[in-house]
Amino acid sequence: MSPQAVTVAYLASAVLFIVGIKGFAKPDTAKTGNALTILGMLIAVAVTGFVAFSATTEGLPFVAGTIAIGAVIGGLLARSLPMTAMPELVGLLNSFGGLAAVFVGISSYLAPGHVYATEAERNVHLVECWLGVAIGSLTFTGSVVAWAKLRGTLSGKPLLLPGRHLLNLALVGATIGLAWPFVGEASTDAGLTWILALTAITGVLGITLVLAIGGADMPVVISLLNSYSGWAGAMTGFVLQNDVLIVSGAIVGSSGIILTIVMCRGMNRSVLNVVFGGFGTEGGGPARKVEGEVRELDVAGVAAALSTAKEVVIVPGYGMAVARAQHPVKELVELVQAKGGRVRFAIHPVAGRLPGHMNVLLAEAGVPYDLVHEMETINADFPKTDVVLVIGANDIVNPAAVDDPNSAIAGMPVLHVWESALTVVFKRSLGAGYAGVDNALFLHERTRMLFGDAKKTADALVGALRSL
Amino acid sequence: MPRASYDPAVRTLTLGVPRERAPREKRVAIVPGVVAKLKELGFEVVVESGAGEAAGYGDDSYRDVGATIAAASDGPYREGGASAYGCDVVVKVMPFETDEIAKLREGATTISLLYPARNPELVKALAARGVTAIALDKIPRITRAQKMDVLSSMANLAGYRAVLEAAAAFQGFFGAQVTAAGTERPARILVIGAGVAGLAAIAAGRALGAEVRAFDVRAAAKEQVESLGGKFLTVELEESGEGAGGYAKSMSKEFIEAEMALFRAQAKEVDVIVTTALVPGAKAPILVGDDVVACLKPGSVVVDLAAEQGGNCSLTKPGEAVVPEGVTILGYTDLPSRMATTASRFFAGNVLALLSDMARGVAGGEAGFRVDLEDEVVRAATLTHGGQELPPPPPPEPSPPAPKKDAPTIAKKPEPKPESATGAIVFGILMAVAFTLVAFYAPDAFVQRFTVFILACFVGWQVVWAVAPALHTPLMSVTNAVSGIVLVGGLLQAAPGGSSLAVILGLCALLVATINVAGGFFVTDRMLGMFKKGGPR
Repeated sequence: MSPQAVTVAYLASAVLFIVGIKGFAKPDTAKTGNALTILGMLIAVAVTGFVAFSATTEGLPFVAGTIAIGAVIGGLLARSLPMTAMPELVGLLNSFGGLAAVFVGISSYLAPGHVYATEAERNVHLVECWLGVAIGSLTFTGSVVAWAKLRGTLSGKPLLLPGRHLLNLALVGATIGLAWPFVGEASTDAGLTWILALTAITGVLGITLVLAIGGADMPVVISLLNSYSGWAGAMTGFVLQNDVLIVSGAIVGSSGIILTIVMCRGMNRSVLNVVFGGFGTEGGGPARKVEGEVRELDVAGVAAALSTAKEVVIVPGYGMAVARAQHPVKELVELVQAKGGRVRFAIHPVAGRLPGHMNVLLAEAGVPYDLVHEMETINADFPKTDVVLVIGANDIVNPAAVDDPNSAIAGMPVLHVWESALTVVFKRSLGAGYAGVDNALFLHERTRMLFGDAKKTADALVGALRSL
Repeated sequence: MPRASYDPAVRTLTLGVPRERAPREKRVAIVPGVVAKLKELGFEVVVESGAGEAAGYGDDSYRDVGATIAAASDGPYREGGASAYGCDVVVKVMPFETDEIAKLREGATTISLLYPARNPELVKALAARGVTAIALDKIPRITRAQKMDVLSSMANLAGYRAVLEAAAAFQGFFGAQVTAAGTERPARILVIGAGVAGLAAIAAGRALGAEVRAFDVRAAAKEQVESLGGKFLTVELEESGEGAGGYAKSMSKEFIEAEMALFRAQAKEVDVIVTTALVPGAKAPILVGDDVVACLKPGSVVVDLAAEQGGNCSLTKPGEAVVPEGVTILGYTDLPSRMATTASRFFAGNVLALLSDMARGVAGGEAGFRVDLEDEVVRAATLTHGGQELPPPPPPEPSPPAPKKDAPTIAKKPEPKPESATGAIVFGILMAVAFTLVAFYAPDAFVQRFTVFILACFVGWQVVWAVAPALHTPLMSVTNAVSGIVLVGGLLQAAPGGSSLAVILGLCALLVATINVAGGFFVTDRMLGMFKKGGPR
């Protein structure tokens, strides 16, 4: 295979990635997009294999065997895990990407036969190795912590170490500072020590950064780690002078950044605020106290309201995912439809623990995606809505974001459910949401609380609607 | 045999539900649906035979839920006798009559409507009997007590029923009609007083297809009227009628004149007038005088919800329908009773809420309730206690004025934070520094790769913004898989010719990266397979 042929094949692979991801613009084309992306990956792997083993096929069985084992493990993980475990799976897979980047970076540093034309070329190569390993290691440990938090092995509460800002600053300083002795080191054996130290330092940084982040901020962190794994890949591309790695790494990096921006806009916070915490410390004065009467409604009452409603909107939150209530909710949708009502879902960008988390859960339950709407498209429709069911959501439906400038969540875009004729809130108990902010929605005169486990309540509601 | 008196050892209290005595009163104070909850509070329920009959709750329906049926009671209270009047707590809808009071046990508690302003002698008799009398009509109109507010729940029913009675008396359609035989404009309804009853009337009128206008002296009512699809009428005079406890206060002479002029003008246009104006403790104001009635077309209907307190219409005969000069004037005082089944259920719900609230102060394991005169709600509603009439509690504060809908609230609205300009500037500077370094320092090969990298960033940026937010999770897992392309690097490093450590590291990279790639793609495919479009509708 000529070098030109290899370049063209890589180009084709990069184009397939771009076209494939473009397919994700619409649910109709996303499946084709995924297939194209897979094709791009196969081409890249095949061509690389061809290049790597063009001289001799010695060692090919090892490599092929490794790939086969990896593919089987990956496939099993993807097949066996329930959909509710999706956030943690994404975190776990992300960590593998970071780990691979670390291995490749170190391996490339150790590989003999580097001939540098100039001093500058050598320095550039070493800095690339350094960056690739640093980002990879950060991604790896950060993703592992995120995985543990998402699956509940570690508490979802932010763990705020005393002096963590100083500690993080010191770790970042060390990461940059140690680059000089590393680049100046002529012997690879001594250099290996430096690079292992770097792996350890950035690994610790990944842990301290993610430990400090609480459960509901996870969408931002996962997006950010996703982006890092892309940058790590791009760096590896620089190290190995391989364009397809650079292109795909850059695309993944941008994608992660975009998701991060979307999530932060959904909370009206900056990335720095999320990553370094400091939540609730701003604002001009004390947040307004909410006082009033909580009104309850029983299952029969909600069923009666639903049976006559023409427009129903369901607002799911992380609580629905925790209670796994999406299946009875889907039955609820069908029953209300059978009684002549229109049911739609309103999804807040940061509902759940992943960007688009609610959409996947609803899709899993069999809710058609054209019933599921984004906040911007549905927010204007609440005044025309008869019944809103808020299932396991809190901060994303808090009116304080709109009308209390001193609230910790002031300015965060929220779903204006209180404008509807009746809002029913499914809730385990009366507690503040993730942001620790009281919710005036619960005391609103057109709001009724339906206390209990979301799944049991939804099941009971299905039964009550059936018998009506 | 049920116990008619309270025995502390058994720790239950009896709760009696007598049959209503008032003519045309079909409601019952307790329905079978709340009996179980009352038992949880420690009450044994004793229902006078036939008490719920007129409301659709037969004796059997009470028996089925564990209540005791007592024979129809007559004669005074006998120790140990199974009489609904002999219970520890006696609940009625309408005020107790003098002969009923004689049947009550000393020390018992009564819960009912009482209207003490109209029935001072009844209050005296209850005090003399040594009874604790709780007047449901005296429960303050504060948020906490809303669930016990019988006046509101009954006003809601009355407002709804008023429109239905008007529709029955009105000899035409309420909704617009377009038929081969001719077209009809919708009927026009004027609702005076947009309290609970007025709002219910507006909603019912709208539901029947009529055009509804409403007038209220309280500016706060405007938003509520409009939210129900009614048109809010105003007079050209600035004066707020916001009084204490959610009622309107009396207005100045100029205002009333302007008001009357408005009603006369409206009367020429409308087909139905529903009046709901009550001033607490006083005779209802006359709002629809002879002059206003004279402006109405023959066949029009006036429903006077204030009939019981003298009426808002000068021609109203309480409890009757009269037709002077072709205008039907309905002065029914039993509107909630005409919907006795639902009215009883709501009434019982209010009573249950009151008793649950009063049970809160009771020690664990004890049955029943406590008359806590420190409690704002209980204090206001308790008229007699310990053989004495209690003086009226201090009046509630007037409601705060309705917030003006313009400037102040909107100006205070928190804005989303503007996109940070400093962030963009810092980013720009960093990019400039990076570009300069690359331009002056980097080797040729690096510059080429750098070009590819920057362009790929922009391509990725454009492509990913187009992704549907619904697909963000699949996007994340597919980009995750793509980032596993590091496996290409692992492959190159694992190829023969390197040092053994480099090869081993390469193989490790290959393994984890392949897991990432395969897992990512499979999971994406699995997720995308679940996204289904709804069928045609």
